[in-house]
Amino acid sequence: MTALLGTLGVGIALVGAIGALTSLILALASHRSDRHSRALFWIAVMVSGCVVAVVAMEIALLTNNFSLTYVASNSTESTPVLYKFATLWGALEGSLLLWGFVLCIYVGAVSLSFRRQISDRLVAWALLTMLVVCVFFFGLLAGPADPFGTLSSPPVDGDGLNPLLRNHPLMAIHPVMLYFGYVGFTVPFSFAIAALVTGRLGEGWLLSIRIWTLIAWGSLSVGILLGAWWSYEVLGWGGYWAWDPVENASFLPWLTGTAFIHSVIVQERRGMLRVWNLSLLLATFALTIFGTFLTRSGVIESVHEFSASSLGPLLLGFFAAILVVSVALIGWRGDELRSPGSIDSPLSREGSFLANNLLFALFAFVVLLGTVFPLIVESINGDRLAVGRPYFDRMLLPIGIALLLAMGLAPLLTWRSTSRQVLAQRALGPAACGAAVMGVAVVMGAEGLGPVLGIGLGGFVIGAALRHLVLACRRNGWRGLTGRSGGGMVAHVGVSLLAFGFIASTAFSEEGEFHLRPGDTGSVAGHQITFVELTDTMDGPNRVVRALIDVKGRGGYSPAITQYPTFGRPISTPSVATSFVDDVYLSLIAIPEEGSDLVVIRVLIEPLVGWIWVGGLVIGIGTLLAVIPLKDARGSRREDVVSEKAL
Amino acid sequence: MRRYQRISWLLILIIVAGALVASVVTDDGPATQGERAYEIKSTMLCPVCDGQNVLESNAPVAAAIRAQVDDLVAEGRSDDEIRAWMARQYGSDVNANPPRSGVGALVWILPVLAGVMAAGLLILAFGRWRSGREIEPSEEDIRIVQTLREKN
Repeated sequence: MTALLGTLGVGIALVGAIGALTSLILALASHRSDRHSRALFWIAVMVSGCVVAVVAMEIALLTNNFSLTYVASNSTESTPVLYKFATLWGALEGSLLLWGFVLCIYVGAVSLSFRRQISDRLVAWALLTMLVVCVFFFGLLAGPADPFGTLSSPPVDGDGLNPLLRNHPLMAIHPVMLYFGYVGFTVPFSFAIAALVTGRLGEGWLLSIRIWTLIAWGSLSVGILLGAWWSYEVLGWGGYWAWDPVENASFLPWLTGTAFIHSVIVQERRGMLRVWNLSLLLATFALTIFGTFLTRSGVIESVHEFSASSLGPLLLGFFAAILVVSVALIGWRGDELRSPGSIDSPLSREGSFLANNLLFALFAFVVLLGTVFPLIVESINGDRLAVGRPYFDRMLLPIGIALLLAMGLAPLLTWRSTSRQVLAQRALGPAACGAAVMGVAVVMGAEGLGPVLGIGLGGFVIGAALRHLVLACRRNGWRGLTGRSGGGMVAHVGVSLLAFGFIASTAFSEEGEFHLRPGDTGSVAGHQITFVELTDTMDGPNRVVRALIDVKGRGGYSPAITQYPTFGRPISTPSVATSFVDDVYLSLIAIPEEGSDLVVIRVLIEPLVGWIWVGGLVIGIGTLLAVIPLKDARGSRREDVVSEKAL
Repeated sequence: MRRYQRISWLLILIIVAGALVASVVTDDGPATQGERAYEIKSTMLCPVCDGQNVLESNAPVAAAIRAQVDDLVAEGRSDDEIRAWMARQYGSDVNANPPRSGVGALVWILPVLAGVMAAGLLILAFGRWRSGREIEPSEEDIRIVQTLREKN
């Protein structure tokens, strides 16, 4: 019954998408403006169909309907309700359904907010592009990735999710957040395609989709960081980022998207960099599809890859189509895209944005190359090689440091050109802040040129951002914090905090492995831990072994290791004693031998790692401040809108 | 004011230079055998666990490699010897650091080339923009500006 309902929902969604697409094509071909609104009806059909499908799947999951293949292979009766709910995105077919759902939310929201301009050719073409994407995804759901396949003889109980996916509540948030980011870039992409097709390459449409781009960017930023936090809390090795292909796949569109939200300011202000900005939007969306291909087709091995499938060729084909259409459109409109202005001086706001963009592009190139290089080499000469963290660390450190420098300098520079005297005067405070942070870091024991330079530049960035915020607030009160410039500077502070945490926890972490009996102690990097006792209990069908550890000055913590009957290897669940100075990360290495109370405990000391999550929070707040520019906030908002021509 | 600013910059420069020198001097690389073993383990991938390094993995083979690295370090073998030994034992893709010779070296070279090219293009673009700025306004341009000025 639910299977039928779900299949029906997907079918209705597909029909709605095709109906909306057809009516838009007909309306565009007939040049009659009254026909466009029919598409709105079909879009409503599509959204309702998708809601029905999602509701059907949730009902099936929550009521343990094991006649559905998806439920039988990804859920069990004993799974807690929260994780049953989240199983919707626990495996391939369901996560594609979530993709479709988020896409429907975006398409619905865009058609609502542009409903009065629906007969505008630009808006019509943008909706049309979005609907092509919808047809592709609902096509996948209706055929090759059907989430509502049924079993003729349903099992009594299902297999359950990979245990790694059901022991932390972030499972309920991180994938959804990530998808809101990933899928959200469909909106600016569609407007970019529409601008190219209609030839309306002026700056107007950029302003009207700014908020959508920021929402997508903010969700992706927070989504990626929540994923990092989740790995940290769950995987048991104390890491949060491993330059793994799946992580890189989500990071690549973030890099090009970040480049875009900066360089688009130059276009709004000076009318320049049009080809570049369009290319960034097209590349960002293409990279989301490419990332989905990499992670969903089984071409790459990864710890995060919870679902492989035969969708590879379809996704690769879609990616190729996006690429061909994008390149062809930019080639076709090439002449009209040539921008009128010029950048007079490298020492100017637009000069720094240009530097920022080249650095981000280079960063993205290194990440992309490192991710696909093993595949390329293996297909050329059959050699198997790996490109791992040491490579990314070495290549990206100089780019990251240059980015921090640009990030600190940019808010201090004026448009057009900046004289040395002005810069020397403006940079004094921020530079002092950077020097102070650097000095404190060295006194606290930081070593190594790269890490110390990075930390000092982080201080410089914070100084420059605070200088801007203080001046803006003096002028506009608390509204100085809002708008693109205010919110952007708040986000810069967040990025710096994140950089502190990343650098310190990567460069200065210490590790110890201890074999302890109850009462024994061990110490690493000035932290003393004492093993108190071992408990061995059954949690339903799962055997849970816990070690109570006393961390001196922080209290008792109990890392655990769980043996799931349906999963071979025992899963270690770490326990973390967090503070603003450092984290003491405890994990049990193995289930102790029968009758023995000797445990092997790994202790990792990670300085400042908690600031990564604080930084992520601040970035999220900054994005919200930038997205919600209060209507009557005069200063910053007007500054954004005033174009070069009016000056 | 000027003088105060100059002194402040001088102070900042001294602090930064001092901090950077200190950061290099104190950075003495892996001092103990344990630190060396840690570095090697963190750059070895576990052969059966999809890209996790042997330090992070709980798989039995990763534990075996950890123990082997400890033994080889204790025997006094060099880093390169240990890496080569592991590559023979478990395949060349246990090394998370791509090779610096053969086709594999491209992964190191290409980004540097791209960076140099990007910088070159940037310099070229600034050069072109600068020369573009020197174009003299034509008589018609001047006339248009003048009529506009008179209107206002």
